[in-house]
Amino acid sequence: MEMIIIAEKINGSIPSVAKAIAQKDADFIRNLAKAQSGAGADFIDVCASVDTDMEVETMKWLIDLVQEVTETPIAIDSPSADVCAEALKLCKRPGLVNSVSLEGDKIDIIFPVIADTKWECAALLCDDTGIPKSSKKRLEVFLTIMEKAKEYNIDPSRLHIDPIIEMLCTSETGIKIIVDVMARIKAQYPAIHVTGAASNISYNLPARQRINQAFVVLAMNAGMDSVILDPLNRNIMGLIYATEALLGKDEYCIEYINAYREGVFGTKK
Amino acid sequence: MSKIEEVKSRVEAGKTKLVSGLVQEALDEGNSPNDILQCMIDGMKVVGDRFSAGEIFVPEMLIAAKAMKKGVEVLEPHLADGASTSLGTCIIGTVEGDLHDIGKNLVSLMIGSAGFHMVDLGVDVPAAKFFDAIKQNKNVKLVACSGLLTTTMPAMKETVKAIKNSGLTGFKVIVGGAPITPEYASEIGADAYAPDAGAAAEKAKEMVAA
Repeated sequence: MEMIIIAEKINGSIPSVAKAIAQKDADFIRNLAKAQSGAGADFIDVCASVDTDMEVETMKWLIDLVQEVTETPIAIDSPSADVCAEALKLCKRPGLVNSVSLEGDKIDIIFPVIADTKWECAALLCDDTGIPKSSKKRLEVFLTIMEKAKEYNIDPSRLHIDPIIEMLCTSETGIKIIVDVMARIKAQYPAIHVTGAASNISYNLPARQRINQAFVVLAMNAGMDSVILDPLNRNIMGLIYATEALLGKDEYCIEYINAYREGVFGTKK
Repeated sequence: MSKIEEVKSRVEAGKTKLVSGLVQEALDEGNSPNDILQCMIDGMKVVGDRFSAGEIFVPEMLIAAKAMKKGVEVLEPHLADGASTSLGTCIIGTVEGDLHDIGKNLVSLMIGSAGFHMVDLGVDVPAAKFFDAIKQNKNVKLVACSGLLTTTMPAMKETVKAIKNSGLTGFKVIVGGAPITPEYASEIGADAYAPDAGAAAEKAKEMVAA
């Protein structure tokens, strides 16, 4: 599969994970890591979502557990660039920093650290003024990020640009802005990855899966080739394989068929 | 696993990129070209059977045939002329009035993989074109008529009848396609019926062996 799957389940903002963190339930975390890796994750996202004073310590606990059970690289997920910079030293193999943006000095902390490594990095198209409302403004942020990347010799293929997916229910133009930004970014830098947190799209709507799934298909058509989601969700994984086949990225549908045979989606045997 | 078994299993798995290299290695090891060819034909029989049984999907059969083709390309210079199509020539086409070719193409691929030289007349083929092809080609052992529409079943009947009554001999007629049943095939005078591409290849081999 071309799509890069960043597996989202080890996140302290999910109540069951918060509980596991609080109770130091190591097996719970190990199992989540193993299951997501087995389901085809390219990166295991690790987000502590705890108070700042214990965040690095918690990240270390989580990262160590994940690395005990899988070789799938880790996506270090923290709102704090300093925590990310600390946590990436704990990883046995290069992963992904999730994330930088033009907010504060985030990018200036992270880019030097990953400059001469194989680490990849997610970059959100927002700055100190917030999330730009127009695609033009988001593309301006993008260009500034690319200048920085060039400065630190970070190849576009190591970047996952997140145009920031906001809830559909308050948007007046659906996903027009996102589609526009994704398509332009891909056209300008074909090797760059375009990513997003798919489930953000459906906040505050009922039957969210429908919206998430429709979004993934349309975003893939616009160039999204990296996504943060739950790979244990068989419906969405099947949909991604199907969409790649429809987009002509899966000759003879062989990957689709193989994934079906492996039980990634379809009727459980 | 011997090299020759490896060739067979890679053909079955449709490893198009590996098969030509493996065939070359099998030749270098001193295996006879005919044995290598036979192992690929055997591999395709497994593929055809699995397809008939509903265990694999059309694309898997397609890439297996493609993998075999890659192997045959390497083998061809080492084989006696025509050895890769030693079972004879098979004329195939979709009958007049019917433009469907996907099923016919699959059947052609599988019968070809079984060791026939295929002459594909395409779609919407009138009976006269079948005769001409039977007359113009050497060693015709099989004529395969495909039809997907109930409305072209009469054309199938006319075609088979015309071929059978043409005075031309030395070949068998096999028919197939969604609306065709074994009963209908025998009623219109065809020698055989096959429900799918895998079965068609098997029937084809049986008929020329008989």
